[in-house]
Amino acid sequence: MSDASDPRQQGETNGQMAKAEPPDAPVPRALDLAQPTPIVGIGASAGGLDAFKAFFATMPSQSGIGFVLVQHLDPSHKSILTELVGRQTQMPVMEAEDGMPVAADRVHIIPPDSTLTIVKGILHVDRPAPPRQRRFPIDTFFQSLAEDQEANAAAIVLSGIGSDGTLGIRTIKEHGGLTLAQSEHDQLAMTGMPQSAAATGLIDSVMRVEDMPARLLEYQRHLIAAASHGDSYETRQVTAQQIAAIASLLRSGLGHDFANYNENTLARRILRRMQLLRIDNVQHYIRQLRNEPLERNLLFQELLINVTEFFRDPAAFEVLETEMLPTLLAGKTDADQIRVWVPGCATGEEVYSIAILLKEEMDRHAISPRVQIFGTDIDESAVAVARAGRYIEPKGALSAERLARWFEAEVDGYRVVRQIREMCVFSTHSVVRDPPFSKLDLVSCRNLLIYLNPDLQERVIRMFHYALHPGGILFLGPSEGVTRGAHLFEPLDAKHRLFRRRDTAIATHFPDFRSPEGLPPATSPQPAVRLTDRIEKVAHAALEKHSPAYVVVNRQHDVIRFSGGEIGRYLEPSAGPATLGLFAILRRSLRQTVRAALEQVAANRQAVLRHRVRIKIGGATRAINVIVEPITVEGSDPNLNVVAFQDLGTVAESVRVRNAAEPRDAIARELEEELSRTKEQLQTALDTAQSAIDETRSNTEEYQTVNEELQSSNEELETAKEEMQSINEELQTVNSELSSKNDQLMRLNSDMQNLLESTQIATIFLDNQLRIKRFTPAIASIFNLREGDVDRPIADIASRLNYHDLQTDVQTVLQELSVIEREVWIADTGTTFIMRIRPYHTVGGVADGVVITFVDITALRRTEEALKEHPAIVEFAQDALVSISRDGTVRSWNPGAERLFGYPAQYAVRRQIGFLIASDATRQPAALLAAALRGDVTGSVEILHKRPNGVEVPVEMTAMPIRDANAAIVAIAMTARDISERKRAEAHSTLLLNELSHRVKNVLASVQSLAMETLRVAPTLEAFKEVFMARLRALSRTHDLLVDREWRDAGLRDVLEAELAPYQSPGKTNWTATGENLRLTPKMALAIGMAFHELATNAVKFGALSVPSGHIVIAWSEQQGDDGHRLHLTWVERGGPTVTEPAQKGFGSRMIAEGLAYELDGDVQVDYHPEGVRCIINVPIPAAGEPA
Amino acid sequence: MNATQSTDTSPSLCVLVVEDEMLVAMMLEGMLRDLGYRVIKAARVAKAIGLATSEAIDAAILDVNLAGETSYQVADVLRLRGIPFVFASGYDPGSLRADFRNVAVLRKPYMPHDVRQVVADALRPCG
Repeated sequence: MSDASDPRQQGETNGQMAKAEPPDAPVPRALDLAQPTPIVGIGASAGGLDAFKAFFATMPSQSGIGFVLVQHLDPSHKSILTELVGRQTQMPVMEAEDGMPVAADRVHIIPPDSTLTIVKGILHVDRPAPPRQRRFPIDTFFQSLAEDQEANAAAIVLSGIGSDGTLGIRTIKEHGGLTLAQSEHDQLAMTGMPQSAAATGLIDSVMRVEDMPARLLEYQRHLIAAASHGDSYETRQVTAQQIAAIASLLRSGLGHDFANYNENTLARRILRRMQLLRIDNVQHYIRQLRNEPLERNLLFQELLINVTEFFRDPAAFEVLETEMLPTLLAGKTDADQIRVWVPGCATGEEVYSIAILLKEEMDRHAISPRVQIFGTDIDESAVAVARAGRYIEPKGALSAERLARWFEAEVDGYRVVRQIREMCVFSTHSVVRDPPFSKLDLVSCRNLLIYLNPDLQERVIRMFHYALHPGGILFLGPSEGVTRGAHLFEPLDAKHRLFRRRDTAIATHFPDFRSPEGLPPATSPQPAVRLTDRIEKVAHAALEKHSPAYVVVNRQHDVIRFSGGEIGRYLEPSAGPATLGLFAILRRSLRQTVRAALEQVAANRQAVLRHRVRIKIGGATRAINVIVEPITVEGSDPNLNVVAFQDLGTVAESVRVRNAAEPRDAIARELEEELSRTKEQLQTALDTAQSAIDETRSNTEEYQTVNEELQSSNEELETAKEEMQSINEELQTVNSELSSKNDQLMRLNSDMQNLLESTQIATIFLDNQLRIKRFTPAIASIFNLREGDVDRPIADIASRLNYHDLQTDVQTVLQELSVIEREVWIADTGTTFIMRIRPYHTVGGVADGVVITFVDITALRRTEEALKEHPAIVEFAQDALVSISRDGTVRSWNPGAERLFGYPAQYAVRRQIGFLIASDATRQPAALLAAALRGDVTGSVEILHKRPNGVEVPVEMTAMPIRDANAAIVAIAMTARDISERKRAEAHSTLLLNELSHRVKNVLASVQSLAMETLRVAPTLEAFKEVFMARLRALSRTHDLLVDREWRDAGLRDVLEAELAPYQSPGKTNWTATGENLRLTPKMALAIGMAFHELATNAVKFGALSVPSGHIVIAWSEQQGDDGHRLHLTWVERGGPTVTEPAQKGFGSRMIAEGLAYELDGDVQVDYHPEGVRCIINVPIPAAGEPA
Repeated sequence: MNATQSTDTSPSLCVLVVEDEMLVAMMLEGMLRDLGYRVIKAARVAKAIGLATSEAIDAAILDVNLAGETSYQVADVLRLRGIPFVFASGYDPGSLRADFRNVAVLRKPYMPHDVRQVVADALRPCG
């Protein structure tokens, strides 16, 4: 291997690349199948929630790893696991759905009551889950995960009771995935599941949950590193070259040759060990193998993993089927038993394989001997799997026919049919430690010996020899043999490792265990006692006296019948409880003899006669014959015996005495007799011993049976226990979920309580009968409620509201399930509420009462009203109201602005305000807006705006900043107003002021003139004062009239009357006026008024008014002339003193004659007629509109 | 100070008075006669233009506002003829037509010496 391709370097580089991958994709990425993205299956049961939390607390959310959580869930409960796990991680957590792809950085959780599998990265959810006792969701998922993802799969077994996951771990491992289990002392873990998984020896790391994420990330880096070169030609090549070296290492170190093993499998397993050891270089690994025997063992085990399968080595099984089993079954009947032992059975595939073969063979022969196949293994979890007989996917050379016939298809796999299962008994057993089974016909021990060292192998082989019947068959694994036990077994088929037990000398040490053959039928005639007639009966009675006394005993030597007569003579009850046991009540001296005889009979069912047995009865020595005769009574115990005693009479004591005198041969004969009896007794004793041994064996057998029965019931209990465990786990899960939910609910409740109190929203809950169920403190401002009022009808509670339809409304809501909303208020305070009555829906969606909320909207209402006004104000404002954003864009443009500026809102809005103000040469508007943007309010500016139609209009503009809640300036409000009207008014006002000034100055000048003219002729100051004041008053009176008419005009008659009034004598009229009250212009009125005054004062001093008889006639008319209307007025005095024309005309007459004519541009004549002064005034009347 | 006295100074200078207020006109006439001037007067613009055009006038005192008309037309004629004139007005002098801003104004009410001064100034050759 060149440096350039050093996988370690490459691995590190890739590791960094993987790390450096930008974490900027929060969305879960779809799995890139080309890139090794691990999918982690996590199985848990009871206590899993805490473990999940701990796991996700340390798992980064952007690792690129996908997670699938398989938890034992109660099928009838909706799980909130998704929600609970979701709080622990940033990753999206969702319940798995059928067809959902597994995404990186996403957590998928098994739904309740379902089976979850994965195919090509897609999750499949099957419902419902299988029944509880067959529900192993973790195994199922792990197995599919292993097959789908191969080395990309990682399986974690967390807290839980039972063994679910263990089988799955095996599959994951087989496909080269990573396996982790929670360590025992971690958290509050239930150790059942992790321990069971760890016990397989297939867990890569047993570790704390918190450390697992780091391990996963490391594994991911290795996968990426492996992917970069793992499948390359080079790697395979290199490994293949070195497999031979590794195999030879194992052969020399462990004596096992893997040379024939599948090369790819070997390569994969070797790479896997390297990966676990974090060794990237094969050479390094070989070095380690060479140096560390432990690693050789570990690799060895890795290579042996999961070698069990159905009909493994089909050829060997075929030989077994076609050659061995027929021999085995030959001559067997239904009464026979066939016993098979499969030590090291692992998960039971081999056991069932043999059972199937046997069953098929038996069916062919149409016999059904009792078959017992003992499957044993030291791995309890494996035994449990074997016992269950469930296989997700039975592996091996299993024909479709066999699969169909001997397996039941289940939701998640297959189960061996009951028929077959009943042939098999599984138990935990160590082939090395525990005593063996015995009387076996077949021992199948495949691939077990290779684990054992040669000494142990020899011991085991010897044990198999002992355990097998003569001629029993031993079936070993392909690389195993009986080299050191060649004297014990002879090969039947060397190639397929089938051997037959030799009947060697050693075998005699192990007696045949088979039970004795059945007893031959009894040969003696039945002791019939058929008395057919009376004579016979009498004769029988007579003979009875001479018949021997007897007892009938059964097989257990209990007396079931006594004869009459002398039988008592032979009985001698022993001390202790009363019994019918023959040997307890028989005379002691007879017991030995009778026992021997009985045993002899039992052995060969031949009657036995013992002659002249001497016993002492009543002090005399008597000789008796002891007869034991087997009898058979139909329908009864076949082993009845009659024990009879025939008295032969007393024997003289002298016999012995005589013995001395007897001739030698007589003594010898007696001695011989004695010897032969003793021999008999010895033989009997030997027989007895043999019988005891047999009995013990029989007992052992019975115990074996009992044991098997117990095992069987144990199995059932095991199943029941698993079910209970499963239920228990589910209950624990439910319980922890419920407890978590409860916490959540309490939290929610307190949240709600706080919410209700903090919102200050008065809320009251009523039930269907309008009774109070709950309320918030804020309700106190509306109802006079106290704590104790709960459950009282709402109608009992006084309300401060102006609202009395509560009950009707609540009924309506309950009937229609609608929401009623009303505005109600408390009259005293004016507080306004929005009252909402809505149905109270229980979680199930049923309306159960109502919820009434009162939201105080007093302030809101005011604001609302205020708010409503604003748009109206803006809409109808005469002024232009424009808002401008900070960047100068027009945001709003009201109708006033449209009118004033001549641009429609459509045009202006979103346009830069420059379009409006840029053309203004003064730059004032721009400065104004700039100031507002700075926060300065600078007053207004006036500009001349030119509308698009060319019309110019004077405009006054103001601007002010609009600030947000933080006083930051967000926009500018600009107002503008048309000031042309004001401009006009200003001009007008100036005009008026000038006019006023002009008039006042004129009046002052007139008064000055009056004063000066009066002063010019007044003889004294007193006289001046009188005349001047009179003239001033005259002027003032006409002014008064004009002011009354707002300086428009004054009536001629009015002016006349006003001027003459001071000279009117009370109660007397000395003047007559004729003519209409013609309207005079102010100028005419003033001039004519002065003229009347001067004429009147002259008349008072010198004319008609100076005497009581005097009279003045004033007459006037309006006349049409060539150049417009003219006023023609005559003043004629009569009855006064005679008039003479004055030599010098005074101011008065000058003013009338010259001034009036001058000012009114007309003719005025004053005629000093002797009868009285006559004055004729003829002046033009200005046409309307003409200047006055 | 009467009509006979004024006729005694027949060779004296002639002043045109244009004033529509008869009392004011009579007073101004009196003042001017007292100062030895001959006076002709007009209350209407039309008549005043006629006098200004045809009469031998040495100076003129024009009331600006004549019954709603201005006396600018009269002033224009006088200016054309090179006859000095002053305005008599109750108005602010600033409100005069722009080309008459330099013309002296006799502010009403005025005293005899105001009249003497303003007329004398107007008649000064360099004025």
